Amino acid sequence: MLKILHTSDWQIGKLFGQFESDDAALLADARFQVVEGLAHLAREEQVDLVLVAGDVFDAQTVADRTIHRLFKAISAYAGPWIMIPGNHDAGLAESVWTRARRLGAVPENVTICLRSEALVLARPAVAILPAPMTQRNTYADLTEWFAGADTPAGLPRIGMAHGSVQGILAEGIDSTNPIAAGRAAQARLDYLALGDWHGARQIDDRTWYSGTPETDRFRANASGCALLVSLDGDAAPRVEMRSTGRYRWQSVVATLRVPGDVDNVINTLTSLTAQDVVTLEIDGQIDLDGHRRLLAAIEQARGTARGVLADLGDLRLAPTQDDIDALHADGYVGEVIAELRAAQEGPNAQGDEARIARDALALLAGMLA
Amino acid sequence: MKLSRIRIAQFRQFRDAIEIDGLAPGLNLFTGPNETGKSTIVTALRAAFFERYRSNSAEDFRPWGDGSAAPSVTLDFEHGGEQYQLLKSFLGKKRCELQISGAGGPVRRLDGAEAEDHLATLLGFQHANKGASKAEHWGIPGLLWMTQGTAQDVRESLTHATGYLRTVLGSAVSDVASSHGDDIIARVERARGELLTARSGKPTGRYLDALARRDQLTESATQVAAEIEEYRHKVDELARLQQAHEADQAQPPWLDARDQERAAARRLEDIQEIERTLGEQRVRVTQIEERATLLRAQLDGYAKDTRTADSRRAALAEARQAHEAAAALVTPWRGRLDETTRQHEAARLGAQRARLRERRAELDREHAALQANVQAATQSLASAQAEQTRQQDHERRAAALHITEQSLTALREQTRLQRELELRLSAIATRLEFDLDDGRTIEIDGRTVQGSGERQLAKATALTLPGVGRLTITPGGADLAALRRQADEAGERLASLLQGLDLASLDAAEARAREYKLALDEAKVAAATLKGRAPQGIDALRAQLARDEARLREVEQARVQLVQQGSDAEKQADASQLSTQEAESRLSALERSLKQIGADLHKAQLTAGDSQARVDAAQREHDAAQALLSAPGRAEKEKACQQSLDDTLAEAASARARVESLLAQVEQARPDILKQDLERYRRSAEQLEQAFHQRRDALMRLDVELQAAGARGLEERQAEIARDLAQARRHAQERTHRAEALDRLLTLLRDKRATLTAQLQAPLRQHLQRYVQLLFPQGSVDLDTDLMPGTLARAGTMGLESAAFDELSFGAREQLGVISRLAYADLLLEAGRPTLIILDDALVHSDDQRLAQMKRILFDAATRHQVLLFTCHPANWRDMGVVPRALEGLRTRG
Repeated sequence: MLKILHTSDWQIGKLFGQFESDDAALLADARFQVVEGLAHLAREEQVDLVLVAGDVFDAQTVADRTIHRLFKAISAYAGPWIMIPGNHDAGLAESVWTRARRLGAVPENVTICLRSEALVLARPAVAILPAPMTQRNTYADLTEWFAGADTPAGLPRIGMAHGSVQGILAEGIDSTNPIAAGRAAQARLDYLALGDWHGARQIDDRTWYSGTPETDRFRANASGCALLVSLDGDAAPRVEMRSTGRYRWQSVVATLRVPGDVDNVINTLTSLTAQDVVTLEIDGQIDLDGHRRLLAAIEQARGTARGVLADLGDLRLAPTQDDIDALHADGYVGEVIAELRAAQEGPNAQGDEARIARDALALLAGMLA
Repeated sequence: MKLSRIRIAQFRQFRDAIEIDGLAPGLNLFTGPNETGKSTIVTALRAAFFERYRSNSAEDFRPWGDGSAAPSVTLDFEHGGEQYQLLKSFLGKKRCELQISGAGGPVRRLDGAEAEDHLATLLGFQHANKGASKAEHWGIPGLLWMTQGTAQDVRESLTHATGYLRTVLGSAVSDVASSHGDDIIARVERARGELLTARSGKPTGRYLDALARRDQLTESATQVAAEIEEYRHKVDELARLQQAHEADQAQPPWLDARDQERAAARRLEDIQEIERTLGEQRVRVTQIEERATLLRAQLDGYAKDTRTADSRRAALAEARQAHEAAAALVTPWRGRLDETTRQHEAARLGAQRARLRERRAELDREHAALQANVQAATQSLASAQAEQTRQQDHERRAAALHITEQSLTALREQTRLQRELELRLSAIATRLEFDLDDGRTIEIDGRTVQGSGERQLAKATALTLPGVGRLTITPGGADLAALRRQADEAGERLASLLQGLDLASLDAAEARAREYKLALDEAKVAAATLKGRAPQGIDALRAQLARDEARLREVEQARVQLVQQGSDAEKQADASQLSTQEAESRLSALERSLKQIGADLHKAQLTAGDSQARVDAAQREHDAAQALLSAPGRAEKEKACQQSLDDTLAEAASARARVESLLAQVEQARPDILKQDLERYRRSAEQLEQAFHQRRDALMRLDVELQAAGARGLEERQAEIARDLAQARRHAQERTHRAEALDRLLTLLRDKRATLTAQLQAPLRQHLQRYVQLLFPQGSVDLDTDLMPGTLARAGTMGLESAAFDELSFGAREQLGVISRLAYADLLLEAGRPTLIILDDALVHSDDQRLAQMKRILFDAATRHQVLLFTCHPANWRDMGVVPRALEGLRTRG
């Protein structure tokens, strides 16, 4: 039986600019930590082999220390690591891989497949058919050669590729780096380890995307895991999905209509923990008090969670009569409030104008309170 | 508020009290020239209200020089239906009493500060805490009471009154005011000021920093992106080069080129071999052709020998013929030469004879001439000798007679002198006349004298009278003696001269002179004759004669000789006697002829000799040629030669054909192009190889560059910059949003406030407008937030014109100043506040038209307010419908 840990899309070196810098630093650091976690997992599970199906690095020219740090991070597992370049770290003439080699950062137990040629290992006895990317993007199927590649009889044939399996995404998406559907069967593969999609996904009996081990975007998919694959004879591989990610990325979308709506959002915000990365998209309308509370809750959430992005652009501030009374806005100030309220509504209340009016109203309310 | 009575005492120039009573509720006009107290009344009014009665600054009010005076002002006025009486006195009697009596109500009395404060509240002013009251304390009265020359200056007095006016306005429209609007505006302004500049609304402070950081990061991002782009480009370049390099390494392209080069070289060598063969063939063709040429020449030689023999034969015949012709010419020429030689000899003899004859004739002629000459010369000589003798005779005679003209002249002179002296002597000498008796004698100086006569006695003369004795007569005088002496001396000299000449007298001398001359003449004649006979002299004549005689002898001898010769020649002489000249001429003609003939003969002989020589030569050549032709084996040789030539020509044709075929081969192969091919392949190979090396170098360079660039972590840096940029953008945007919101808020607040202010000012504006339109047709005036008149718009020559208050002329500002005060007064009146308007010499800068309008305005205002108008130009204000009060009158009345 052959036990494999299948992972991909580590995106080492990715920075999370959309967040405040301290959050971003932690999120970037988490990518190293998850790799360490993978190494530990591999050791604990005593896998025979770790396959990394591309995009180990987020970019070609990462800093030297980043390269060193990555290869240090996998040291917990001393077994063989097989890596192929993806579109982010394609095996170009000069690439992060050539640099890693030059830096002497690549440990002996790591095999980086830069050529489309079969790799036959003795321990474990397995034949790897890699489809490394040697261009940033290609419209050719790099796995084409798998079928024609002969490997020693009796050895499991394992393919590795990075790209989009055809026929899965919606029609009309001109995806680069195509991989023909049914390649595993056609090329007599026992398992085809894929990378590129950040969510784990089974394509067929023997074809899987492992997804990224640490979530790096809000798109709702099964990311933050790795696949433990067991191959036993001709039987279909047994694939076990293991959660590896630390951070939960969630997208909160809410339209506020009644005062209770804001409470729900605030509850969501207050329940956030240090493992949460959140994006808020809130529209609808809100009274002064609700606005104050919402802003306070967002600020609080920023303190707890690892990243909070709030888009309140389409939220309208609508003070109630009680709000206005509470502000004691008599005379012309009252007129100003009324005008700012009106400016958020009506047919001309579009985009910037509405936003400016809302902000102005919030400011005025803050001063009057 | 209506003043009814003013009493002023011990106040500045009013040392005595003056009282102005019965003031009208409307317009009151006070007239008087300068210094009559107009300003003092105004000052007194101000003092009554503004100055604390205790104030030390009241010293100013004291009449000059009156130390004990107590300036006082008493005012009676009505306001709000109540009667007020104010008594205020300073310094000496510090008092302030205010008595208020309402209609039917009790009389209130207020004293001191209480009274003063009541008035301040009522009229809207303040007291100074310390010292004299100043403009800043005067409030509403300061605005309405226009002192001399300040009517145009609204702003300052308005500043001090704004608070009071605001309360009036505020209380009028209190329902629209905001309890904390201005505070909010201030806070919004502050908050906005942190982000935007107050004036131009440009980003500032943290906002500006955020924008700057964003822009800076954007720039960095662009730069890094460019660097990454370049890096990627280089990576692609590296891949391309590597691929090419490997391909070349696997199969070096220059090897092909080298192969082609070698193939070309081989082909070239082949062609060069052919070319070599061709060259040899060509040489062979040349050699064959040369041989053919030689053979042809040989054959030609044979043919030529035959031709030569023929021509030599012909030439020999020709030469012989020519020789015969030439030889035939010699004989006639020889005959003619002999003939001519004979003629020449005859002619020579003839000529000789002629010459002899000529000679003899000549000698005969000479002989005759010489004989004649000798004869003549002999005669001439004889006559010449005779003549010479004659001449000598005459000359001899002449020499004997010789007397010089000089001597003769001296003689003549001496004779004349002597005679003259004698005459003079006789003239002066004592004349002794005697007449002696016959026979009687006397002796005079020893000489016996008889007869008569006379003597002149020039000296003592002894006269012996015979018988008688002797008488001595001595002529008197010395002169006579001297003259006598001179005469004697002259006589002596004459005698000496004559003696020298051996002559007796002058006459003898004269005769001898004539004779001498005659002898000379004759000698001359003889000499001339001699000259004619013998021009060369007698000796020459004689010599000539001798020569002629000698020559004659020679001639005679020659004649003799010639006669002997002639007789010899005469024998052969032919009949014709030619002259010498003819004979000579004939001889020379014959000589020329002889010479010519000799030459011709010679020529003919030469020609004959020459042709003979030719004949000989032609004979020899002919013999030689003939010998050649008849040499043994010659015909065989010629035949063999011909055969040999035929063979050679055939050989040459075949050799030439071979050359042609080789040449065709060479031309087809184009060795020049082959050489170029060779060069081309060689260069290609070199270049390919060089390109390979260059690419290898470029690869190395690129590799190094990329390694260095990769180590810089460009993309990670880009990600960092992108992260920072995103943050900077967020920050900038937050601030932009905040700035926009604040800006909007401030604008709104200000707009609303301005609208409100405008609403608040509406009543005041209304009042002001009413007056402005009276003064300026279609005029309107803004009010700013301080209630100050702002821009004045009015009908002008170019339509509606507008100007800010401060830009107006002094007159217009004064007018606007007055009417704005009237408007304030109206506003105050509506609010039930006291109004009293004082104009101290106002509107002096207005023209007649404006003044007329202002009078209408003032009259109108006076229907609502009490107006005190002081002027020193009463004439200007006659038409105000009130009786002016003359201040001078008031004083006297006081």
